[in-house]
Amino acid sequence: MSEPVVELSNVWKVFGERAGETVEAAQSGTLTKAEALDRYATVIGVRDASFSVARGEIFCIMGLSGSGKSTLVRHVNRLIEPTAGTIKVLGEDVSAMGTKELREMRSRHIGMVFQHMALMPHRSVRENVAYPLEIRGVPKSQRWAVSDHTLGLVDLQGYEDRLPRELSGGMQQRVGIARALASDPEILLMDEPFSALDPLIRLQLQDQFSELVSELKKTTLFITHDLDEAIRIGHRIAIMKDGGIVQVGTPEEIVTQPADDYVREFVQGISRLKLVRAHTIMQPLNGADRSVFADARRATGDTDLDTLIDMSVDADTPVVITEGGEDVGYISKAMLLRGIQGGK
Amino acid sequence: MNEQRTRLAGTQIDAQPMASAVANVEVDRTALDQSIADFVVRNPAYYQRVFHKIHDTTSGIPLTFNAAAALLGPLWAAARGVWGMFWGFLILEIIAWVQIGRGTWGELGAADLQQAIRQETRAQEFLDRAAAASAAGEDPSRFETLGNNLMRAAERSREAADAAAADAMMILITGVILLVLIRVVQGVWSNIAYEKQYSDWRVEPENEASGVNMLGAAFGGLLVLAVMPLTVYRFTIENVPDFLLAFPATPDHYTNTARWLEGQIDAAASAGSGTFDGIVFGVRTVLDTVSLALMGTPWPVVMIVICVIAWRSAGPRVAIFTAAALAYIAFLGYWEIAMETVALVGAAVVLCVLIGIPLGIWFGKSLRAYKFAEPVLDLMQTLPAFVYLIPIIAFFGTGNPPGILATIIFGMPPVIRLTALGIRGVPETIKEAASAFGASRRQILKDVEIPLALPSIMTGVNQTILMCLSMVVIISLIGGGGLGQVILEALQFAAKGPGLLGGFAILFVAMVIDRIVQGAFRRADLKH
Repeated sequence: MSEPVVELSNVWKVFGERAGETVEAAQSGTLTKAEALDRYATVIGVRDASFSVARGEIFCIMGLSGSGKSTLVRHVNRLIEPTAGTIKVLGEDVSAMGTKELREMRSRHIGMVFQHMALMPHRSVRENVAYPLEIRGVPKSQRWAVSDHTLGLVDLQGYEDRLPRELSGGMQQRVGIARALASDPEILLMDEPFSALDPLIRLQLQDQFSELVSELKKTTLFITHDLDEAIRIGHRIAIMKDGGIVQVGTPEEIVTQPADDYVREFVQGISRLKLVRAHTIMQPLNGADRSVFADARRATGDTDLDTLIDMSVDADTPVVITEGGEDVGYISKAMLLRGIQGGK
Repeated sequence: MNEQRTRLAGTQIDAQPMASAVANVEVDRTALDQSIADFVVRNPAYYQRVFHKIHDTTSGIPLTFNAAAALLGPLWAAARGVWGMFWGFLILEIIAWVQIGRGTWGELGAADLQQAIRQETRAQEFLDRAAAASAAGEDPSRFETLGNNLMRAAERSREAADAAAADAMMILITGVILLVLIRVVQGVWSNIAYEKQYSDWRVEPENEASGVNMLGAAFGGLLVLAVMPLTVYRFTIENVPDFLLAFPATPDHYTNTARWLEGQIDAAASAGSGTFDGIVFGVRTVLDTVSLALMGTPWPVVMIVICVIAWRSAGPRVAIFTAAALAYIAFLGYWEIAMETVALVGAAVVLCVLIGIPLGIWFGKSLRAYKFAEPVLDLMQTLPAFVYLIPIIAFFGTGNPPGILATIIFGMPPVIRLTALGIRGVPETIKEAASAFGASRRQILKDVEIPLALPSIMTGVNQTILMCLSMVVIISLIGGGGLGQVILEALQFAAKGPGLLGGFAILFVAMVIDRIVQGAFRRADLKH
């Protein structure tokens, strides 16, 4: 892929007066969260986190509450200062920025959406969305025009002059998304944006959001505690535990090759139908009698299990998998069933 | 475990093991007993038994009797650390002991007896003079009558003294009965109080006393010794030495300190006279501006403006009331003087807001500054106005500006407090969002913190206005003008009519201002 838009390398965040010592001790050996609290009276928020996000990618950071994911993402726009490590946004070192540069970067290049919306209750929806532009000193006419356009993107035309409290939770969060998009930033930081919403609205917003973001080609860091959500939305997922990143990978990689028991436990309940693709469960054709498959149905290697089931449910022969027009493998019904099960 | 208990209870053979109806659950006291033993330390078996009994009581007061508590009285409570009970029963016991003391050595009727003896002596004198008179051949009847009357009075006094002496026995018996009764109640109450302490101890073992504390008992004993004998002595003896009734203060301490203080204040006042004069000048400027607006403008204009403001902010009913109030003030000739009052309050409020809101914002943002400021604010509000009027006179002289300063001292804390409260109440998330979009600190203050704190700030301003109004009468004591002066003069001459008329004028001014301000804030609230 192209050059990374956001790049974190060896980022540490330790809360407490003896943060520096804690990082040194933890770097030179192993230091658990409890030991740090015990020995240095510090709390490790982020532990040696490194990852990079490419342009247009949706990168999900998934972890339970207290795993440090919100802390981690706040390093990108330096709402939180790192104890150690470097953060580069659009090739620039964030830690080295002066106050003015930093504010410039926040208002131009990064939009952020918060779990609890954090809209200003005394301003109309339009003025909330326009606020990032107001900070930049954009004139009112321009602000309002942009704001109305952005509200259109999230289907909120007609609500411009309402106050946030007159809107439902889902609509408020759409205002939050519109506000983040208002200054047309390259990067979106989404801090558990849909966690406080009820499940149906959440599904709707997830779909709407993925569509919108892929259309607008925003590089997105998406925080969630819900693996389903991460899989629905993310191109890649980082799984965090106790401040550290346990595994980074595509949804399929996470589900099919969990890095450890912790991740395995998470992915247990995840439906594999849309995730696992033909090439992971197929049997190579080399050496097999190809004449048998002459009438078989054919699918490409990245067809998901769901589609494969549809194809093979009323066919007698296995499905043949092609790669660039060549037959490369096949999947029988038995293999398909095992694949759904998760490969025993 | 549950199955075993059910079997032990022997009621249900095929009970579901998970059933936990209240009656089915066996009470297991092993853990409880251990904990009670840890708590009481001494004599655990007894307390386990009585605590069980208390725990088993279904209604009413559990009846147990703690002989040690009954025997030792407050000392038991002190040893066990039940201090509430110690003080309560100590006071009750003092009452009983005072009765016992009065009955035993109280010399009841001593005063009557002394009077009888005095009267007898006087009677004897008269009788002697009567005898002397009759020996001298004069008419003794005048002295005889006086002497006999006094004799009869002496007899009555003796009877009263005897009756009082007979009462002594009754008082003694009452005291003893009272003491026994109190001790019995202590015996019954002690276990209940101790069980309560045990329950509290389970929650906070470090804050509640447990076991027997000999130091506590000694301290309790000392307290009893310090309090009981002196009190009993004071209430049983007829002629109490003076030093027990009044603190033996030396007047010199007072005069010297007062003189020294006076010197200090005078020195400070003359040393800082430039600053103080500057402050007075500043206050006077504000006051003059407000006064000019209110009194320089022709009265019909001011009246119309006030009525229109009342209408716009609080509606037609308040406007009609305002018109009536203004008419009352005008017809009774209070117009000028009432406007002076409004100017005083207005100037004080303007200064309170100008100084108070920035201070409040600062205290809202800096917890450390607020910690320093809080006691000062408390002092400003708790100190009676009369107390700081004197230093204000010393430093700022008399008249309207010092009056405004006194008003500010009293009126400013609410706006500071509520501004700080409002600023602190602004959700962190919204501030974070603003800074995530690149807002500077100044922008966050202007766009987020002040707008969100505004309802609280407005409440503070409202309270400040009301408090400034309440100072109007008091500042007339240091030469403040306006309606307060009318009231003060009426007070000095006990002039009922003028006092009442002026009082109503103040009331109307206050009500009009209050109504208008409340109405305006309600409208502002509705917008939020």
